[in-house]
Amino acid sequence: MTETTVGIGGAAEGTDMVLNIGPQHPSTHGVLRLRLILDGERISHAEPVIGYMHRGAEKLFEARDYRQIIMLANRHDWLSAFSNELGVVIAVERMLGMEVPERAVWTRTLLAELNRVLNHLMFLGSYPLELGGITPVFYAFREREELQNILEEVSGGRMHYMFNRVGGLKEDLPNGWLGRAREAVADVRSRMDVFDRLVLGNEIFRGRTRGVGVLTPQTVHAYGVSGPIARASGVDFDLRRDEPYLAYGELQDTLNVATRTEGDCLARFECLLEQTHNSLDLADACLDRIAELPPGPINQRLPKVLKAPEGHTYAWTENPLGINGYYLVSKGDKTPYRLKLRSASYNNIQALTELLPGTLVADMVAILGSMFFVVGDIDK
Amino acid sequence: MSPVPGHGLAKGLAVTLRTMTRRSVTHQYPDAAPHLPPRSRGVIALFEENCTVCMLCARECPDWCIYIDSHKETVPPAAPGGRERSRNVLDRFAIDFALCMYCGICIEVCPFDALFWSPEFEYAETDIRELTHERDKLREWMWTVPTPPALDPGAEEPKEIAAARKTAEKLAAAQETAAQQTETPEGGA
Repeated sequence: MTETTVGIGGAAEGTDMVLNIGPQHPSTHGVLRLRLILDGERISHAEPVIGYMHRGAEKLFEARDYRQIIMLANRHDWLSAFSNELGVVIAVERMLGMEVPERAVWTRTLLAELNRVLNHLMFLGSYPLELGGITPVFYAFREREELQNILEEVSGGRMHYMFNRVGGLKEDLPNGWLGRAREAVADVRSRMDVFDRLVLGNEIFRGRTRGVGVLTPQTVHAYGVSGPIARASGVDFDLRRDEPYLAYGELQDTLNVATRTEGDCLARFECLLEQTHNSLDLADACLDRIAELPPGPINQRLPKVLKAPEGHTYAWTENPLGINGYYLVSKGDKTPYRLKLRSASYNNIQALTELLPGTLVADMVAILGSMFFVVGDIDK
Repeated sequence: MSPVPGHGLAKGLAVTLRTMTRRSVTHQYPDAAPHLPPRSRGVIALFEENCTVCMLCARECPDWCIYIDSHKETVPPAAPGGRERSRNVLDRFAIDFALCMYCGICIEVCPFDALFWSPEFEYAETDIRELTHERDKLREWMWTVPTPPALDPGAEEPKEIAAARKTAEKLAAAQETAAQQTETPEGGA
């Protein structure tokens, strides 16, 4: 990690400047630290220093039962809490061989997509903010508020939903919620043109992002980058389509995987925006389906002490920011023997070592913002 | 992008103008109270009359922020000649909201419906120790607990209602057969 240069006389003294970005820099969304070596204005070496927010989630998982793990798991990436919970319950259900009621499957799909929109709206607002455009974040938060109200009504939480349970969901939907959800989705969709036209159509925004920070498909593969960032580089991989979980298998007509080939900051933003539009369509398709479903339970009766049988499984889901995987090893206890967490941002951020060298410091913020990461998801 | 210089500015101003003509979405919070749904997880209320000191909530809490103290009391026999019973008496029930992660597991595991969510959220303190709410304060929150929302028509019947309906139907069927039995001898006579 650290390099030591040995030299005689003045040769040991490099003229390079070492610049620390963070851990408390606004563009790092928290406590990510970048150690840059500059050659004038140009970055010659970049190293992300992570771990300032390490909470030992994986170790804590080993001392918690499966219901308590759901509570811990929805916190590492606080912008996609629902999708995080989903991976845990899918893993445990698979170990138990448990069938989830159809109503729960569709409701989970709906909430996962609404969560995806919420997550993306955050970045659709904050990315222009980092590039100097203050306005879009207010519009993004207006839309977020609408959807958060919907999710709060059903789950009681605005960020940490804690709504998944092994075998289904915590409780059924409140009366009239489906109508209100549909209204909110329509409202948000009607105002999405702010991002299509105002942000994406802005000359300054395009000028700052086009051709900046080009991520090659080779780097994507080498670093295990996933999600909208990988798809912007032409790596067409989406678990919702390629390994359908939940009800995505039946939503293939609506599901549209947004891809670009440029791999620059603009392409990443475009992918995110297109995916947001598609998620709203998917949410509508789920709402249609839930309305048609026959009345039925939304969860399974669970034993007092829930134990996953001995064995291991890997459950991965397409989280808003990329692939989120849980490798569950159980020895038949009520807590897992080991629960490995593969989070999207951790891998995505590693590509910065390849992406940043050769770019200007001024472009660093544009590139960093376009990597769409959550620090909690990196440090775990 | 556009051949006309300043086109972007005009577009931006158009959005501003459009937003200006609409009603503001901002609520002036301390003056206007927010509308929160009944499921909102604001604070945990304790209905201590229902608590049997079974300690399930304290044990299931992922960060052990529930403190319960109790002692045993012997109750004299209800009927003369009976056995005297021992009973748990709650001495202390406190939740440290500085530690609480608002997951709601304690409420879910309570077998006697002694814990409830309330959407109240205005209990910020300047001293962290004040965030440990003792039983009287937790009991006070009970007055703010809303009724749970009605469920979606597609939902399964709550099991209390399903059980009650089953009993009612069984009773009705039993009454009917009884009525028929009394009717037949009358008809015969």
